[in-house]
Amino acid sequence: MIMDSQNFEDRLRQVTKPEVKELKHQDMLADATAKGKDKSVVSWWWLIIPLYIILTLVMKSIYMPNTSFISNIQELTSKQKLTSSIFFLILPIIFILISFYNIRKIYFLSGNPKSVIFLKAVWLDILMILFSILILIIYVL
Amino acid sequence: MTESELLNKIKSNPAVFSELFKLYYKPIFGYVLRRTGDFDDTADITAETFFKAFKYISNFSYNGISIKIWLYRIATNEVNLFIRQKKRHNRIFERLKLEDNELFNKYLNEDRRESDTELQKNDQFLVILKEVKLLPVKYQEVISLKYFEGKDTKEIAEILNIKEGTLKSLLSRGLEKLRKNAAKFNF
Repeated sequence: MIMDSQNFEDRLRQVTKPEVKELKHQDMLADATAKGKDKSVVSWWWLIIPLYIILTLVMKSIYMPNTSFISNIQELTSKQKLTSSIFFLILPIIFILISFYNIRKIYFLSGNPKSVIFLKAVWLDILMILFSILILIIYVL
Repeated sequence: MTESELLNKIKSNPAVFSELFKLYYKPIFGYVLRRTGDFDDTADITAETFFKAFKYISNFSYNGISIKIWLYRIATNEVNLFIRQKKRHNRIFERLKLEDNELFNKYLNEDRRESDTELQKNDQFLVILKEVKLLPVKYQEVISLKYFEGKDTKEIAEILNIKEGTLKSLLSRGLEKLRKNAAKFNF
Protein backbone atom coordinates (compact mmCIF):
# COMPACT_ATOMS: atom_id res chain seq x y z
CA MET A 1 0.00 0.00 0.00
CA ILE A 2 1.33 3.46 -0.92
CA MET A 3 1.34 5.87 2.00
CA ASP A 4 0.10 9.45 1.40
CA SER A 5 2.74 12.19 1.09
CA GLN A 6 2.18 13.84 4.46
CA ASN A 7 2.28 10.56 6.39
CA PHE A 8 5.37 9.50 4.54
CA GLU A 9 7.16 12.77 5.35
CA ASP A 10 6.21 12.39 9.02
CA ARG A 11 7.54 8.83 9.07
CA LEU A 12 10.84 9.99 7.56
CA ARG A 13 11.18 12.67 10.22
CA GLN A 14 10.23 10.37 13.07
CA VAL A 15 12.41 7.36 12.27
CA THR A 16 15.30 7.22 14.76
CA LYS A 17 18.64 7.99 13.18
CA PRO A 18 22.14 6.86 14.19
CA GLU A 19 23.88 9.48 16.33
CA VAL A 20 27.59 10.01 16.90
CA LYS A 21 28.35 10.25 20.63
CA GLU A 22 32.12 10.23 20.96
CA LEU A 23 34.95 9.95 18.47
CA LYS A 24 38.24 8.99 20.06
CA HIS A 25 40.29 9.47 16.89
CA GLN A 26 39.15 13.10 16.52
CA ASP A 27 41.99 14.89 18.39
CA MET A 28 44.79 12.95 16.69
CA LEU A 29 43.22 13.61 13.31
CA ALA A 30 42.93 17.34 14.12
CA ASP A 31 46.69 17.49 14.85
CA ALA A 32 47.59 15.55 11.71
CA THR A 33 45.33 17.71 9.53
CA ALA A 34 46.93 20.93 10.75
CA LYS A 35 50.34 19.50 9.76
CA GLY A 36 49.14 17.98 6.49
CA LYS A 37 50.38 19.05 3.09
CA ASP A 38 48.61 18.49 -0.19
CA LYS A 39 50.60 16.95 -3.01
CA SER A 40 49.49 18.53 -6.26
CA VAL A 41 49.98 16.25 -9.25
CA VAL A 42 50.00 18.95 -11.89
CA SER A 43 52.67 21.60 -11.86
CA TRP A 44 52.45 24.72 -13.94
CA TRP A 45 56.21 24.42 -14.47
CA TRP A 46 55.39 22.06 -17.34
CA LEU A 47 54.49 25.18 -19.29
CA ILE A 48 58.12 26.23 -19.04
CA ILE A 49 58.96 23.71 -21.82
CA PRO A 50 57.02 25.43 -24.65
CA LEU A 51 58.01 28.85 -23.24
CA TYR A 52 61.67 27.76 -23.31
CA ILE A 53 61.32 26.61 -26.93
CA ILE A 54 59.71 29.93 -27.87
CA LEU A 55 62.53 31.81 -26.14
CA THR A 56 65.20 29.84 -28.06
CA LEU A 57 63.36 30.59 -31.31
CA VAL A 58 63.28 34.29 -30.44
CA MET A 59 67.01 34.18 -29.67
CA LYS A 60 67.63 32.37 -32.94
CA SER A 61 65.72 35.01 -34.89
CA ILE A 62 67.77 37.74 -33.21
CA TYR A 63 71.22 36.23 -33.67
CA MET A 64 70.84 34.23 -36.91
CA PRO A 65 70.79 36.35 -40.05
CA ASN A 66 67.91 35.98 -42.53
CA THR A 67 65.57 34.35 -40.01
CA SER A 68 62.49 35.59 -38.25
CA PHE A 69 60.55 34.31 -35.28
CA ILE A 70 57.61 33.28 -37.47
CA SER A 71 59.83 31.44 -39.96
CA ASN A 72 61.57 29.65 -37.09
CA ILE A 73 58.24 28.55 -35.67
CA GLN A 74 57.10 27.36 -39.10
CA GLU A 75 60.35 25.44 -39.52
CA LEU A 76 59.93 23.79 -36.15
CA THR A 77 56.30 22.83 -36.72
CA SER A 78 57.04 21.33 -40.14
CA LYS A 79 60.11 19.39 -39.00
CA GLN A 80 58.83 18.32 -35.58
CA LYS A 81 55.12 17.86 -36.14
CA LEU A 82 54.45 15.55 -33.19
CA THR A 83 56.64 17.32 -30.64
CA SER A 84 55.41 20.77 -31.61
CA SER A 85 51.75 19.75 -31.48
CA ILE A 86 52.28 18.20 -28.02
CA PHE A 87 54.02 21.24 -26.54
CA PHE A 88 52.23 24.01 -28.43
CA LEU A 89 48.73 22.62 -28.77
CA ILE A 90 47.84 19.66 -26.50
CA LEU A 91 49.73 20.80 -23.39
CA PRO A 92 48.31 24.38 -23.36
CA ILE A 93 44.76 23.08 -23.96
CA ILE A 94 45.11 20.60 -21.08
CA PHE A 95 46.43 23.38 -18.83
CA ILE A 96 43.59 25.73 -19.77
CA LEU A 97 41.03 23.03 -18.88
CA ILE A 98 42.80 22.14 -15.60
CA SER A 99 43.03 25.82 -14.63
CA PHE A 100 39.34 26.46 -15.27
CA TYR A 101 38.45 23.36 -13.26
CA ASN A 102 40.76 24.50 -10.46
CA ILE A 103 39.26 28.03 -10.39
CA ARG A 104 35.76 26.54 -10.17
CA LYS A 105 36.89 24.18 -7.38
CA ILE A 106 38.55 26.99 -5.38
CA TYR A 107 35.41 29.15 -5.71
CA PHE A 108 33.25 26.32 -4.41
CA LEU A 109 35.59 25.20 -1.62
CA SER A 110 36.21 28.74 -0.45
CA GLY A 111 32.49 29.33 0.14
CA ASN A 112 31.84 31.85 -2.67
CA PRO A 113 34.59 34.25 -1.48
CA LYS A 114 34.76 38.01 -2.10
CA SER A 115 36.33 38.96 -5.44
CA VAL A 116 39.63 40.32 -4.05
CA ILE A 117 40.25 37.24 -1.89
CA PHE A 118 39.20 34.98 -4.75
CA LEU A 119 41.58 36.70 -7.18
CA LYS A 120 44.42 36.28 -4.69
CA ALA A 121 43.67 32.56 -4.53
CA VAL A 122 43.45 31.99 -8.28
CA TRP A 123 46.02 34.40 -9.71
CA LEU A 124 48.36 31.54 -10.62
CA ASP A 125 45.59 29.74 -12.51
CA ILE A 126 44.70 32.94 -14.38
CA LEU A 127 48.38 33.43 -15.25
CA MET A 128 48.54 29.84 -16.48
CA ILE A 129 45.50 30.38 -18.73
CA LEU A 130 47.06 33.53 -20.19
CA PHE A 131 50.40 31.76 -20.81
CA SER A 132 48.60 28.86 -22.45
CA ILE A 133 46.56 31.16 -24.68
CA LEU A 134 49.75 33.00 -25.69
CA ILE A 135 51.42 29.72 -26.66
CA LEU A 136 48.32 28.63 -28.61
CA ILE A 137 48.20 31.98 -30.50
CA ILE A 138 51.88 31.72 -31.40
CA TYR A 139 51.39 28.16 -32.64
CA VAL A 140 48.23 28.88 -34.65
CA LEU A 141 49.73 32.02 -36.28
CA MET B 1 34.21 33.24 20.61
CA THR B 2 32.22 34.14 17.48
CA GLU B 3 32.74 32.36 14.15
CA SER B 4 34.33 35.49 12.73
CA GLU B 5 36.84 35.70 15.61
CA LEU B 6 37.63 31.99 15.27
CA LEU B 7 38.18 32.43 11.54
CA ASN B 8 40.63 35.30 12.10
CA LYS B 9 42.48 33.27 14.74
CA ILE B 10 42.84 30.30 12.39
CA LYS B 11 44.07 32.54 9.59
CA SER B 12 46.80 33.96 11.83
CA ASN B 13 47.61 30.63 13.53
CA PRO B 14 46.74 27.40 11.64
CA ALA B 15 47.12 25.33 14.85
CA VAL B 16 43.82 26.88 16.05
CA PHE B 17 42.12 24.85 13.32
CA SER B 18 41.69 22.11 15.95
CA GLU B 19 38.95 24.35 17.47
CA LEU B 20 36.96 23.83 14.29
CA PHE B 21 37.32 20.08 14.82
CA LYS B 22 35.95 20.41 18.35
CA LEU B 23 32.93 22.35 17.13
CA TYR B 24 32.03 20.61 13.90
CA TYR B 25 33.78 17.24 13.46
CA LYS B 26 31.08 15.23 15.21
CA PRO B 27 28.07 16.84 13.43
CA ILE B 28 29.74 16.49 10.03
CA PHE B 29 30.80 12.90 10.82
CA GLY B 30 27.20 12.15 11.82
CA TYR B 31 25.85 13.69 8.61
CA VAL B 32 28.24 11.64 6.42
CA LEU B 33 27.45 8.48 8.42
CA ARG B 34 23.73 9.01 7.85
CA ARG B 35 24.40 9.37 4.14
CA THR B 36 26.74 6.42 3.64
CA GLY B 37 25.76 4.04 6.46
CA ASP B 38 29.36 2.85 6.62
CA PHE B 39 31.96 3.81 9.24
CA ASP B 40 35.11 3.48 7.10
CA ASP B 41 33.74 5.49 4.19
CA THR B 42 32.49 8.09 6.68
CA ALA B 43 35.86 8.36 8.42
CA ASP B 44 37.66 8.86 5.10
CA ILE B 45 35.14 11.32 3.67
CA THR B 46 34.97 13.41 6.87
CA ALA B 47 38.76 13.52 7.19
CA GLU B 48 39.01 14.62 3.55
CA THR B 49 36.36 17.28 4.21
CA PHE B 50 38.33 18.79 7.08
CA PHE B 51 41.60 18.51 5.17
CA LYS B 52 40.07 20.49 2.29
CA ALA B 53 38.60 22.99 4.75
CA PHE B 54 42.07 23.46 6.29
CA LYS B 55 43.57 23.96 2.83
CA TYR B 56 40.98 26.51 1.71
CA ILE B 57 40.15 28.33 4.95
CA SER B 58 42.57 31.16 4.13
CA ASN B 59 40.29 32.03 1.17
CA PHE B 60 37.11 31.72 3.21
CA SER B 61 35.36 34.97 4.08
CA TYR B 62 31.93 35.86 5.36
CA ASN B 63 30.10 36.28 2.12
CA GLY B 64 26.68 35.06 3.09
CA ILE B 65 27.45 31.60 4.46
CA SER B 66 28.68 30.43 7.88
CA ILE B 67 31.58 28.05 8.58
CA LYS B 68 29.11 25.32 9.49
CA ILE B 69 27.23 25.64 6.19
CA TRP B 70 30.55 25.77 4.35
CA LEU B 71 31.68 22.50 6.02
CA TYR B 72 28.36 20.85 5.15
CA ARG B 73 28.88 22.00 1.57
CA ILE B 74 32.35 20.45 1.32
CA ALA B 75 31.14 17.25 3.01
CA THR B 76 28.17 17.00 0.61
CA ASN B 77 30.50 17.43 -2.34
CA GLU B 78 32.85 14.74 -1.00
CA VAL B 79 29.98 12.27 -0.40
CA ASN B 80 28.63 12.92 -3.91
CA LEU B 81 32.09 12.37 -5.41
CA PHE B 82 32.35 9.09 -3.51
CA ILE B 83 28.92 7.94 -4.72
CA ARG B 84 29.54 8.95 -8.34
CA GLN B 85 32.96 7.30 -8.52
CA LYS B 86 31.49 4.14 -6.96
CA LYS B 87 34.79 3.17 -5.43
CA ARG B 88 36.46 3.37 -2.06
CA HIS B 89 37.41 6.83 -1.02
CA ASN B 90 41.05 7.77 -1.36
CA ARG B 91 42.62 6.75 1.98
CA ILE B 92 43.45 10.15 3.43
CA PHE B 93 44.85 8.61 6.63
CA GLU B 94 47.76 7.26 4.59
CA ARG B 95 48.57 10.77 3.33
CA LEU B 96 48.49 12.39 6.77
CA LYS B 97 51.37 12.30 9.20
CA LEU B 98 49.90 10.78 12.34
CA GLU B 99 51.97 10.98 15.50
CA ASP B 100 51.20 7.43 16.60
CA ASN B 101 49.69 5.20 13.91
CA GLU B 102 49.09 2.30 16.28
CA LEU B 103 47.19 4.41 18.79
CA PHE B 104 45.21 6.10 16.03
CA ASN B 105 44.16 2.71 14.59
CA LYS B 106 43.19 1.55 18.08
CA TYR B 107 40.95 4.61 18.53
CA LEU B 108 39.56 4.17 15.03
CA ASN B 109 38.68 0.52 15.74
CA GLU B 110 36.92 1.50 18.98
CA ASP B 111 34.97 4.21 17.16
CA ARG B 112 34.07 1.71 14.42
CA ARG B 113 32.64 -0.72 17.00
CA GLU B 114 30.57 2.06 18.62
CA SER B 115 29.35 3.29 15.27
CA ASP B 116 28.42 -0.19 13.99
CA THR B 117 26.42 -0.84 17.18
CA GLU B 118 24.64 2.48 16.73
CA LEU B 119 23.84 1.66 13.09
CA GLN B 120 22.47 -1.78 14.02
CA LYS B 121 20.21 -0.20 16.64
CA ASN B 122 18.59 1.89 13.91
CA ASP B 123 17.55 -0.88 11.53
CA GLN B 124 14.50 1.02 10.23
CA PHE B 125 16.79 3.88 9.25
CA LEU B 126 19.10 1.48 7.40
CA VAL B 127 16.13 0.14 5.43
CA ILE B 128 15.15 3.63 4.28
CA LEU B 129 18.79 4.64 3.66
CA LYS B 130 19.24 1.64 1.37
CA GLU B 131 16.33 2.89 -0.75
CA VAL B 132 17.48 6.52 -0.66
CA LYS B 133 20.87 5.39 -1.98
CA LEU B 134 19.17 3.94 -5.06
CA LEU B 135 17.91 7.41 -6.05
CA PRO B 136 20.00 9.81 -8.16
CA VAL B 137 22.51 11.82 -6.07
CA LYS B 138 20.57 15.11 -6.53
CA TYR B 139 17.60 13.57 -4.67
CA GLN B 140 19.74 11.76 -2.08
CA GLU B 141 21.35 14.98 -0.87
CA VAL B 142 18.11 16.96 -0.50
CA ILE B 143 16.22 14.13 1.24
CA SER B 144 19.11 13.48 3.59
CA LEU B 145 19.55 17.15 4.55
CA LYS B 146 15.83 17.74 5.01
CA TYR B 147 14.62 14.57 6.76
CA PHE B 148 17.75 13.06 8.35
CA GLU B 149 19.55 16.28 9.33
CA GLY B 150 16.44 18.40 9.94
CA LYS B 151 17.78 21.39 8.00
CA ASP B 152 15.36 24.06 6.82
CA THR B 153 14.91 25.09 3.20
CA LYS B 154 17.16 28.17 3.46
CA GLU B 155 20.04 26.19 5.00
CA ILE B 156 19.79 23.40 2.41
CA ALA B 157 19.73 25.92 -0.44
CA GLU B 158 22.89 27.52 1.01
CA ILE B 159 24.65 24.17 1.47
CA LEU B 160 23.86 23.06 -2.08
CA ASN B 161 24.28 26.54 -3.55
CA ILE B 162 20.93 26.33 -5.35
CA LYS B 163 17.77 28.46 -5.41
CA GLU B 164 14.99 27.63 -2.95
CA GLY B 165 12.57 27.04 -5.83
CA THR B 166 14.90 24.45 -7.39
CA LEU B 167 15.30 22.80 -3.99
CA LYS B 168 11.54 22.53 -3.48
CA SER B 169 11.03 20.87 -6.84
CA LEU B 170 13.96 18.46 -6.21
CA LEU B 171 12.51 17.58 -2.80
CA SER B 172 9.04 16.99 -4.15
CA ARG B 173 10.24 14.76 -7.03
CA GLY B 174 12.73 12.85 -4.86
CA LEU B 175 10.18 12.25 -2.13
CA GLU B 176 7.63 11.04 -4.65
CA LYS B 177 10.07 8.50 -6.08
CA LEU B 178 10.98 7.29 -2.60
CA ARG B 179 7.35 7.09 -1.47
CA LYS B 180 6.40 4.92 -4.44
CA ASN B 181 9.16 2.50 -3.48
CA ALA B 182 8.12 2.61 0.19
CA ALA B 183 5.38 0.04 -0.32
CA LYS B 184 7.98 -2.45 -1.63
CA PHE B 185 10.29 -2.20 1.39
CA ASN B 186 7.53 -2.18 3.99
CA PHE B 187 8.39 1.21 5.51
